[in-house]
Amino acid sequence: MKMMRTSLAAVAALLSSIAMPGLSNAAVTVLGWPGGSEETALRAAVEAYNGKAAETDRVELLFFNRDGFFDKLQADMAAGSSAFDINLVATYSIGRYAPYMEPIELGPDAAKVFGESVLKTMQFDGKQYGVPTDLSLHFMYYRKDLIEALMADDAAKAKYAEIAKEHLEKELQPKDPDQWTWEDWAATALYFSKQVNDESPVRYGTVLQMKNLLFNMMVFQSLPRSYGGDWMDAAGNVTIDSEAYRTSLELYKKLYDAGASPRDSLSYEFAETNAAYSAGQAATALQWNAAAADLTNAEKSPAVADVTGVVAPPAGPNGRADHIHGLGLGLNKNAKNKEGAIKFLKWLASEEAALTYARGGGSPALAPEVVAKVASERPDLVKLGEFASRYGYVMTGATSANALSIYELQAKEFTGYWSGQQSLDDALAHTKAGMQDLLKK
Amino acid sequence: MAIVNRAEGRLYFTPLVGFLLLFLGFPAIVNLVYSVSTVNFETLRSPTITGFGNYLSVLGDREFWRSVSFSMRFGIVTALAECLIGLFLAIFLAPLLARRSVLMAPLMLPLMVAPAMVGLMYRLVLHEFAGPVPYYLFEWFGDSPAFLDVNNAFRTLVVVEVLQWTPFAFLLFYMAYVAIPLDVREAAALDGATSFKALWWIELPLMLPTLTIAFFIRFIDGFRVFDNVYALTGSGAGGSTTSLSIYIYHAFFKQGAIGKAVAASVLLFLASLVVLCVLNWLAGLRRR
Repeated sequence: MKMMRTSLAAVAALLSSIAMPGLSNAAVTVLGWPGGSEETALRAAVEAYNGKAAETDRVELLFFNRDGFFDKLQADMAAGSSAFDINLVATYSIGRYAPYMEPIELGPDAAKVFGESVLKTMQFDGKQYGVPTDLSLHFMYYRKDLIEALMADDAAKAKYAEIAKEHLEKELQPKDPDQWTWEDWAATALYFSKQVNDESPVRYGTVLQMKNLLFNMMVFQSLPRSYGGDWMDAAGNVTIDSEAYRTSLELYKKLYDAGASPRDSLSYEFAETNAAYSAGQAATALQWNAAAADLTNAEKSPAVADVTGVVAPPAGPNGRADHIHGLGLGLNKNAKNKEGAIKFLKWLASEEAALTYARGGGSPALAPEVVAKVASERPDLVKLGEFASRYGYVMTGATSANALSIYELQAKEFTGYWSGQQSLDDALAHTKAGMQDLLKK
Repeated sequence: MAIVNRAEGRLYFTPLVGFLLLFLGFPAIVNLVYSVSTVNFETLRSPTITGFGNYLSVLGDREFWRSVSFSMRFGIVTALAECLIGLFLAIFLAPLLARRSVLMAPLMLPLMVAPAMVGLMYRLVLHEFAGPVPYYLFEWFGDSPAFLDVNNAFRTLVVVEVLQWTPFAFLLFYMAYVAIPLDVREAAALDGATSFKALWWIELPLMLPTLTIAFFIRFIDGFRVFDNVYALTGSGAGGSTTSLSIYIYHAFFKQGAIGKAVAASVLLFLASLVVLCVLNWLAGLRRR
C-alpha cells in the first residue's frame, strides 16, 4: 500500500512537471524589434501590461539580431512557425508578410489615439494588420553651443567661408541649422573637423552611417530626394542613376575622404553613431528620431544632452525631405495563443499603452490631444508629427515586395563607391541593373 | 574468430546509420533537389526542377569567386598563424604547465566565448569613442587607425580569429608534445643532441600528424567563418568581407535565391570533401 502511494505521488509529480511548461506556453510571445529604443519601450509597456493581466495572458518578449531581421522573419513565417504569437511588421514589408498574418480589429478608440492616417501605415488591402508602435524618420542633431560660437565669431566665420570655398567651391556663410541646405551642412561638417580645421573644438563635423546595411540607405536617401531623386519615374523606369543621386553620393564621399566623419564610418550604424555623437566629439549627426530620447537625456548623454538641437534634414533644390516608415506589431496566423495575443494588441492600441510606450522611449505617432499629455517629457514626439506631415516621403517602388532587397543592393554598391572599391559610374550601373531585375519580379 | 559476428555488427551500426540518414541524408537530398530547382519561400514545398542553372549562375557570379577568395585567404592565414603561435606557446610553456597545470584553464578561456559574442565584443573594444584600444592610442600617440575600414578590416578580422582560436591549436600541440616518450628525449640527450636539434629532428617529426590535423581543422573552420565576421563588419563595405558562408546567407535570406544559395553550399560541401580526402590520404601515407 505504501509503495502504491509512493508510486502515485511520483506519477503526480511527473505529471505536474509536464504540465508546468504547458502553463507557461499559454503566455503570449511577442517578437519585437531588437536593440534600440523600440525594445526599451516595448519592455516598459509589457511590464505595465503584465502587472494587471491574467496569468495565461501574460506577455513574454523574444528578440533576435536586428541585422537580417526581416529575412529571418520571412523564413520563420513561411515555415509556419508558431514560436511567437505576435510579430513585428513594417510599412515597407506588410505586403510581404500579409499571407502569414491575420488581420485584427482594434476598435474605434484606436483612431482617437493614433489618427486614421497613422493607422493606415499598418493596413494592407484595406485590412488592419498591426498596431502602429513607432513612426521612424530622421532628425538632424547638432551642437547648439558650437554653432552659436561659430555665428558669434567673425574670425571663425571667415575661416568657415574659406573652407567652403576650398572644399565645396561655394561662397557660404554660417547659418541657423533650421535654414541649412545640404551644402551649408557640409561646410559646417568640414569646419568642425580636425583634419580640415585644426582649431576645431571637436574631432569631427558629422557622423555618417555608411555601413553596408539597408537601414543606412534610408538615412542617406533624404539627401538625393531633396535634389529631386527617386527610385523610379512615372513610367516605371529605374532612375537611380540620376544627377540627384550622383551629387549626393559624391557629397558623402567628399566628406568621408576629407575626414569630416570618423574613419570607421564604413562600419557605423545606429549604435555607433549614437556613441560617437554622445561622446561630444561630433558637431552634427543625421540620425533616426529614435535616438532623440538618448541624445537629449542628461543621464545617458551627459556631454551633449543640454546642448543638442534638433531640426529636420537640410534642404536641397527641391526643398526638404524626410524618409518615413512605421513599425508595428501584428498577429501571426499560426499563433498558439490567438485570444491572448488579440487582447494584448487591443490594449497596445489604447491611450494608456501608447503613453506608457512613449514614456518608455518609443516613438509612436500620436493624435495631437494625446501627444499633448507627454509633450513636456517627449518634445521630440511633437516634432515627429510635424516633420512627418511636412517633409515625409516614400520613394516610388519602396513598398514593393522586393523593397528590402533593393535597399540591400544599394547598400552594397554605394558603400563600394564610398570605400573607393569602384567608380561612381560602376556603382550606379550595378544598382540600376539590380533594381530593374528586382522591380520586375 | 571474430569478437562480434556480422549480424551483431550490423545491429550495432543500425542506430548510427539511422541517425545519419535522418539528420544528414534527408537534408542532403533536399539540398540536392533545391540546387537544381526554381524555388522561393512560397514554393519551398513544391520546387520546380529546372536543371543546373543555379550552378551556372553561382559559377558565373563574380561575387561568388570574390567570397571564395576571401574565405581561402582567411582560412590559410588564420590556420598558419594559429598553428605557429600555438606551437611556440606549447613548447615554451610546457615546463611551466608541467608544474602549474592550473594555468591551462585561463589559457583556454577564449574558446568558451561564442564567436558571435567575440565579434560584438570587438565591435565595442575597437570603437573610436567607446573602445579602450582607440582611447589609449589617442592618449599615447594622438591618433588611432580605422580598424574596420576597407584597408584594415581583413587584418583586424584575422587578429580577432587568431586570438580566439590559438588556444585550440595550443591545446592539441601541448598534448602531443608531452606525449613524446621520455626515453626518446633521454636517448637524444645521451647522443649529444642540443635542445634545438632534439626539437627539429625528433620532437617536431613526432608531432607532425597532430600539426597536420590541427592545420586542416583550423583551415576548415577559418574557410567557413561566419559569426564573428558578420557581427564585426557584416559583409563589409562593398561586400569586401563577404566569406563564402556569408555569400550563401545573403543569397538565401536577402535575395531569396534559395536554389542559388543551396547550389553554392553544395559546392562548399564538395570543396570540404576534397580537403578531407587529402587529409585521409595523408593519414594513410603515415600509416604505411
